[in-house]
Amino acid sequence: MVKLRLKLIFLVFVIVTLTGCWDTKDIDHRLLPVAMGISKEGEEYQVILQVPEPVEGQMKNRIIKESGQTITKTIDTLSGNMESQIDLLHVKVILIDKQLAKEGVKDVISGFMRSRDVSSNALVTICDEDIEKFFNTVSNDLDVNAINLFEFFEKNAGWTPQIALTRVWQVYRSVHSYTHDVAVPIVVSGGSTNIRHMGSAVMKNGKMVETITPDETLLINAFKEESAQGRVEVSDHASVLIISNKTNSKSNFIDDEPSLENVINLKVVLLETKDDHTIELIKEELSTILQERFDGMFTKLQESEADILGLGQHFRNKIPRRELKDWRSKYYQELKMDLSIEIDIQNTGFLKSNSSDLSAN
Amino acid sequence: MYFITHVGLIFFMYPTDIIESASRTHWVPIFIGMVFHLVFIWIYMKGLSYFPGKNIIDIYMEKGKGLSLIFLIPIIGYFFLANITTVRAYSEIINIVFLSETPLWATMIPFLFIATYIAAKGLNVIFHTAFIVACVFLPLFLFIFILSFQNVDWRYFFPLFDIDYSFISNRSYYKSFFSFAGVFLFLGFIQPYHTYDRKKVLLSAILLLPFFLFSVYVPILTFGQATSATFQFPFVTALDSVYISWLVFDRITMFFLISLLIFIMIFLSLLLWMVSSILVHFVPIVKHSYVLYFLSILIFIICVMLPDWKVVEKLFWWNTYFRFYVILVIPFSVLIFGVRSKRKVR
Amino acid sequence: MGEVSKKVKKRFKNYDDFFQQETYLYKEIVEIMGFNTLINIPKTKDILQEYTKSVHTPDMTLDDFLKTIGEVKEGNIDDAIQSIFEGKLIICSNKGQYVVVDPIPKELNRSIEPPSNENVLQGSQSSFIEDLETNIGLIRKEKTSEKLCVNSYSMGKRQNKKLALLYIEGNVNKDILSEMQNQIEKNIKKELQNQQDLSNILGFSPWLTMSKFHTSELPSEAVKMLLQGRVVLFIDRLPIAFILPSLIWDMFTIENEHNYPYPLMILIRVLRVLGLLTTLIVPGLYVALVAVNPGVLRIEMALSIAQSRQGVPYPALVEVLIMLLILELILEASVRLPKSIGPTITMVGGIILGQAIVDAKLVSNLLIIILAATTIANFTIVGVQNSLSIRLYKYLIVIFASIYGVFGLLAGMLLIIAYLSSLKTFGVSYLNVNLERDVIKR
Repeated sequence: MVKLRLKLIFLVFVIVTLTGCWDTKDIDHRLLPVAMGISKEGEEYQVILQVPEPVEGQMKNRIIKESGQTITKTIDTLSGNMESQIDLLHVKVILIDKQLAKEGVKDVISGFMRSRDVSSNALVTICDEDIEKFFNTVSNDLDVNAINLFEFFEKNAGWTPQIALTRVWQVYRSVHSYTHDVAVPIVVSGGSTNIRHMGSAVMKNGKMVETITPDETLLINAFKEESAQGRVEVSDHASVLIISNKTNSKSNFIDDEPSLENVINLKVVLLETKDDHTIELIKEELSTILQERFDGMFTKLQESEADILGLGQHFRNKIPRRELKDWRSKYYQELKMDLSIEIDIQNTGFLKSNSSDLSAN
Repeated sequence: MYFITHVGLIFFMYPTDIIESASRTHWVPIFIGMVFHLVFIWIYMKGLSYFPGKNIIDIYMEKGKGLSLIFLIPIIGYFFLANITTVRAYSEIINIVFLSETPLWATMIPFLFIATYIAAKGLNVIFHTAFIVACVFLPLFLFIFILSFQNVDWRYFFPLFDIDYSFISNRSYYKSFFSFAGVFLFLGFIQPYHTYDRKKVLLSAILLLPFFLFSVYVPILTFGQATSATFQFPFVTALDSVYISWLVFDRITMFFLISLLIFIMIFLSLLLWMVSSILVHFVPIVKHSYVLYFLSILIFIICVMLPDWKVVEKLFWWNTYFRFYVILVIPFSVLIFGVRSKRKVR
Repeated sequence: MGEVSKKVKKRFKNYDDFFQQETYLYKEIVEIMGFNTLINIPKTKDILQEYTKSVHTPDMTLDDFLKTIGEVKEGNIDDAIQSIFEGKLIICSNKGQYVVVDPIPKELNRSIEPPSNENVLQGSQSSFIEDLETNIGLIRKEKTSEKLCVNSYSMGKRQNKKLALLYIEGNVNKDILSEMQNQIEKNIKKELQNQQDLSNILGFSPWLTMSKFHTSELPSEAVKMLLQGRVVLFIDRLPIAFILPSLIWDMFTIENEHNYPYPLMILIRVLRVLGLLTTLIVPGLYVALVAVNPGVLRIEMALSIAQSRQGVPYPALVEVLIMLLILELILEASVRLPKSIGPTITMVGGIILGQAIVDAKLVSNLLIIILAATTIANFTIVGVQNSLSIRLYKYLIVIFASIYGVFGLLAGMLLIIAYLSSLKTFGVSYLNVNLERDVIKR
């Protein structure tokens, strides 16, 4: 028995040593790009990768570029031309050229989901300029810390609530879902901060149909109960810091007419005031500004038939599934949105501030 | 034991089949399957309880060799096919998910090698191993399972009551019974070695319910039905979407998958052990371990020969016939024999 | 000079430590003989004289006296020779009769000292010594119970090695005990010198990588095991108790921990379990993550590892194996070295070599950290033999991990678990929590 077992083990070892280990490739022989840019020129995809490389103890960014008929083919050609193998597992940010986004990214995203080469957690962004130029400017300025681009979007690093956070799987979901669309951030290079956030693109079924501003994105994040924390809002007379947000919504579906009542609760801290105004006034002002902004955005969205707020979700138990398929084209248009924004000023900082009671005195 | 082998089976194929079979109200097919499952386990255990200290081989052997052949050959066939499909399917999963360049035969080797090794050591070792494995891997598994709720949007639960019965006529639904039928037979084999508490088995079967339910619902709740239907392994993909910034590791999916694979290996060793113990009963001259070696080599060869995933699915479907035979005939026949023998005694 | 003493003298021609002296007992000449290396001659003589006085009655003769101190033998000297080798004293009268007596032995045992291999914090400091009787005495002292039984065996053909088997009646599992006794009696003619011989006598496979004995040099530990119903074996001239059957939980527990508050005890034990897992997993995890599945790492980590591995000329597996080997060498060397040089080798091996090897870019500095952690974790495990086995298993995991990555890592774990659970000592599985036997029908 023992001999047999020894023989077996020996056999396994021989097999292993003879054939080698297939997936074994040391980490320093792999290129680990952190950002990937995709654009389309005619029928060909152009892929740009930002690869951090250790050079004499420091991280340096390296930009490599190739074009080909499919993305995988392009990566393969790149791999062949590089000294190490390219491993897309760590791609954290995918930049999509605006042109390509308008044409639709369904195939690209499906490809990512299928092969699992790219993590489905990678962020999707749209680049509103030539991708190559973007990469060059960004990486030239950021050569100290190579993963800067990705940290721009990292929730515990450089992210702020007016940037929409959208991951590959969410885009993929929006391609297939009846009731869910996504907002994708748009960035350009330039300025003293290297990356400038230009607002968000509204993606419907994998196609970019509309753009919204950063402020509107903030509202969307607040509505979806993503955190809107730490964001400074300015009205005519004061600026406040949002410290927490909460959304309540109630859906109604009467006579094929969907309507939605929403209350967004914002807790804010007073930061700056111009002149002396009562808290009530500031509150009211802020709430009107936000409401107007929201209404403006919502009409825009309704026109483009893109449901980035996921409003259709609220009607899942009210509209039969067969008809839910027509949510975007039929019901969404008719949706009556009743949004009210309630603002609580949690404190006024170290200074006392006039409230209406005080001024009455 | 009962619990972990099941858990291993649930998370890959089951959600796919269920999502494929019904377009909404997935809980209905799940509950029906579950009730079915509980009923036949109960019947089976009831039947077995008439024969204390005997396993089903002994029970059938008492009724004559011919009869036992009729009953046991489908079981062998079922186990054998189940073994092949499991090995093949799971090494395929490994291949898709993380070892993309390793050839299939190489991923199958550790599967079969370890399973055979454990099986060759006998049932006690399978049980001990399962126990320790549960201690080591279940916490990991549960942790990741809980994490998988990160992206859940509960509104996808709706509509709740717009019940769709089309799954009854759907092939995939019957395939999904793989997750139920695979394991329970072993209760009939362990009798002389171990005694078990019937209540505990039923309890652990009920405990499985949330796992059955959420293995289907987690992908649906994250992606929505229409999207989930496009995935080969919905739960795996749903896990992939989990993003936790404070964890050292990026892809927790892998740890989840591997702990499931470990459970599957134990399941495989159990299957191998059962097949070989049946075979040894028919051909008593050969040693138990040689039968095992022979079986695993045979399975290995067949697995390597299978050309693609489609064939595996076809095998899976053929196995469904055996499966229903096993689910329906074995528990009932044991019960009937049991009742009859009781009468005789009176 | 008697016939006997001549024969004996002739037999011991080549043994210069053999002595033969004449002395007077009851005014008759007797000869005493034995090994002066084993017998304290002056003291023995004193005692002998004193004894003659104490049992003195007026009409006592030498013959009567000899009868009172032992069995009087005549003619055949084989017994005498055997006894001399065992360190006994022979008193031989002129008539050719002789008596074997126990002399005052030379002090060849060390005194009872604090344990040298198993450190005890705040606990009983006595440890077993080489002398079998003392060891049993230590246990009797620790556990004064009428139920503590001792079976003694004399093993071997050429030499007689004493083996003692201790158990507590009522606690011990009768089947295990009788099976063990049968095994020992069956193989009573086999030579016994060390643990390997013992496991051979008890019928264990010599190829086990996990020792079936739990060894300890602490009486308190041995008594705890006895109370749990286990059997303790002592071999003469070995200062260790061999405890059977050994269970996996022994790896994590020490009796002395019961001197701490309960939560602290649990924490310490959890720490040991973690230590075991670290030892097993960490080197394999390094190989798996670096070579096969770098996708699992976070990007920051991946980049820093990649950076630290820049310029390392060989694959991760080779790197790990080389460093593990060097570490094993250091460990082995520091065991061999005298205590005064020990710290030096630690210094040279640990710090200088470690620093230099990283500077020379032969291994990545992350690996050094990992290996240090592994080695340290390894020694949290109770029992030298256990930690050796674990050290061995980690290589299996490293190799598996190098082929199949993280999957191989966990598959290797499964294999080890399966191996451990297949271990059985007299029907008790190694992974059992209690001493319940598996009922096996094959």
